[in-house]
Amino acid sequence: MRAYDCQDCGGAAFPEIHHHQQPWLPFRYSTVDYQNILSVSAGTMPGKHVDDGASEPCRRCKENTAVLVVRSEPLCRDCFTRYVHTKAVKRLESFRVRNAALDHQRKFLLALSFGVSSVTLLHVLDHLLQTQRGKTGRTGFAVDVVFVEVPGATVLKDGTLAEAQKAYPDFGYASLPLHDIFLQTSDPGLSSLVPNLIPEDSSSPSEKLTSLIASLTSATARADVISTLTTRLIVEHAKATGCEGILWGDSTTKLAEKTLSETAKGRGFSLPWRTSDGDSPLGLTFNYPLRDVLKKELVSAKQASMSSKNTTIDDLMRNYFEEVETNFPSIVSNVVRTTGKLETPSVPASKSRCDLCSMPVLDGRFGIHGWGGDQQDGSEVLSVQTGPKLCYGCTRSIPQNTTG
Amino acid sequence: MPKPCANCATNTAAIVRPKDRSALCKPCFFTIFETEIHHTITSTNLFARGERIAIGASGGKDSTVLASVLKTLNERYDYGVDLILLSIDEGIKGYRDDSLETVKQNAKEYGMELTILGYRELYGWTMDQVVEQVGKKGNCTYCGVFRRQALDRGAARLGVKHVVTGHNADDVAETVLMNLLRGDLPRLSRTTSIVTSTPSAASSTDPNSHTNIKRSKPLKYAYEKEIVLYALHKNLTYFSTECIYSPEAFRGSARALIKNLERVRPSAILDVVRSGEDMAKLCPGSDEGCGGACSNSVPVAEEEEGGCGSSNGRTAGGEMAGVEKQLAQNEVAAETGLEIEITSNGTNGTKTNAVPVVNGKKGKKNKGQSQPARKAVPKQVMGQCKKCGYLSSQEVCKACTLLDGLNKNRPKNSIEVGYDEAQEDAKLNDAISEVKKLEVGP
Repeated sequence: MRAYDCQDCGGAAFPEIHHHQQPWLPFRYSTVDYQNILSVSAGTMPGKHVDDGASEPCRRCKENTAVLVVRSEPLCRDCFTRYVHTKAVKRLESFRVRNAALDHQRKFLLALSFGVSSVTLLHVLDHLLQTQRGKTGRTGFAVDVVFVEVPGATVLKDGTLAEAQKAYPDFGYASLPLHDIFLQTSDPGLSSLVPNLIPEDSSSPSEKLTSLIASLTSATARADVISTLTTRLIVEHAKATGCEGILWGDSTTKLAEKTLSETAKGRGFSLPWRTSDGDSPLGLTFNYPLRDVLKKELVSAKQASMSSKNTTIDDLMRNYFEEVETNFPSIVSNVVRTTGKLETPSVPASKSRCDLCSMPVLDGRFGIHGWGGDQQDGSEVLSVQTGPKLCYGCTRSIPQNTTG
Repeated sequence: MPKPCANCATNTAAIVRPKDRSALCKPCFFTIFETEIHHTITSTNLFARGERIAIGASGGKDSTVLASVLKTLNERYDYGVDLILLSIDEGIKGYRDDSLETVKQNAKEYGMELTILGYRELYGWTMDQVVEQVGKKGNCTYCGVFRRQALDRGAARLGVKHVVTGHNADDVAETVLMNLLRGDLPRLSRTTSIVTSTPSAASSTDPNSHTNIKRSKPLKYAYEKEIVLYALHKNLTYFSTECIYSPEAFRGSARALIKNLERVRPSAILDVVRSGEDMAKLCPGSDEGCGGACSNSVPVAEEEEGGCGSSNGRTAGGEMAGVEKQLAQNEVAAETGLEIEITSNGTNGTKTNAVPVVNGKKGKKNKGQSQPARKAVPKQVMGQCKKCGYLSSQEVCKACTLLDGLNKNRPKNSIEVGYDEAQEDAKLNDAISEVKKLEVGP
């Protein structure tokens, strides 16, 4: 990766990243094109910088010079780092040593995308484990790390994972290609989504994935299906390796983006399962320890704009919240608090689930037909039974042939 | 080689349908557009034979198309309903004067009875006078609250129990996103319902009471772009203008987002509506449960419903900056433990019209109290306004409260107005056109 000069200090920096602005990171994270990889997204607007001469004292310690303004509070590097740590650790109350049984080590899986949020979470978790060990001689939990390789996305520089492993040697690491989803799950529903797949087909998992993605007609649909499969692969891996839950790096901003983009994709019904801490219908717990930290507080890099032709709904929401976050940070937090108030529907025993996202679909409301906003007048509704069963949102991404 | 219509395959396609980008000929577009609205009406049992229905007519594209389509469908499918037009004159010079002319013309064309009711005769204040008194900021609150009651009062006066409005899918989608942004779940859960009503309070026995009017939006699933296309190709007369008083706020932000979403994926507007219906079922304390899929009605009073007549209006939600400020203060309070929780079971209404008070994290600070796992969204208890009898969750309804405030300051004001009304108007209009010039942006 080519090095650039940092605009602030003149030192070498990775593209558009001012490395010295992430004071808590021991190694530089790279700007891979991970927008499609995980539900963690790329960095955006700079946090307001106090670099115009008049340096204010830190509002908290009142000793050092402030380097950043966070929610209208000028903070020094140390206090800022502590601020991020505190916000995250507050969310990890149940991970304390006192909650851990002596004879059983709880294990969680961290989904790492090498975006700033998940890398920050990696760092926070490492710090927390060291603190626990220092205080009690043992830890409340163990962490495995998984990275999912997505074809088409810019490949991680060789050794990036090894670099992370070197910086945080206490974790177990794995890197999985996305097409492993066809190996990890025996779900026949998932394979049924691959176009023109004959039973007993000898296609390799990688061919199946390529053919599924190639059948999708829009950038939104591709991004959507890839992120859905990524989530499912991470879940399958977590189950296979005995993890009781998954730690996601999503920031407040990311969760707000997700709330609005999943709403826009017709997935309002499953919002609580996608944004709140706790049991997921996918069979283990989801945790979002960075849910109280805004993205601009994690990143000070600006991302290159992308072509409008390939804009996805997720991109749109990212840009939207980038703007909102700049002037109205509390509104971003408020969106997340609001979805948090939605009640999680109880999952019925008869599991009728979506073949793609595996979310429970209540009352058999598969597909996009048979509701008030249906464009067709009720006549062709029942043809869905033959094909794969997809929820409303997934049907938008993988349209089913009405001819059957 | 011209492209044939995707529906009939005989005519040449003339219209690319915004909803799914299919190429259609004019007659097929008309039929499909109308049939979808017919489907909305029949699948929700919206109308009853013999019912007298008032169309809330602003002269804008939505209500004009609604009137035209309902007339067509009533004849084609023999709904057996009696359609009339009801217009509200807010008293905004240069806005309503012209659009009311359009409504009058529509009434003639469609052979429908028309009633125009003014804010002046209903409340004693025109919007121009209100603006003179309170300024441009916040005046949309007055307009919205007044209009809500005005349609119901007008309907009651005409002996009509059902008012239909021109709210379209874009309006509903926009309101869903807006309420997510400002954190208003109760409104979010109500907005997607096709029927809202102001059911009569228990004590109301007056058949002409304006507290038992059914409200519905038959264009709930119709795209704004298709409404414009329909009006355009049908050569319908409508008046296109935006309210001169509408400022920038949440709705503008949500509106822009909806337009961008539509560009990325045309079905997104419909998908947001669907999400909104599904989320309504997940709202704490929601018992409607069907989000409009079945035809039960959701009680609603003093409710804003997606925009002014211009469908670009501002409502009681407040400016983003104001909400941001309030939320930021709540956050600070929560963090420093200074927060005073306001409970809503006091005798007097503690609910304000802006953003619900957001409760801080339930940390160790208030360990002593027993807390429910989830904060239930308080349910409104509907009663009647002591002054006017309108359905209200407060002792005195919003309209009467606002009027009280206005009337207190009236003497001073009325002298001025009486002194040289024409000159005042001219001054105001000058000021407005100045501001309008400034507001023209990208």
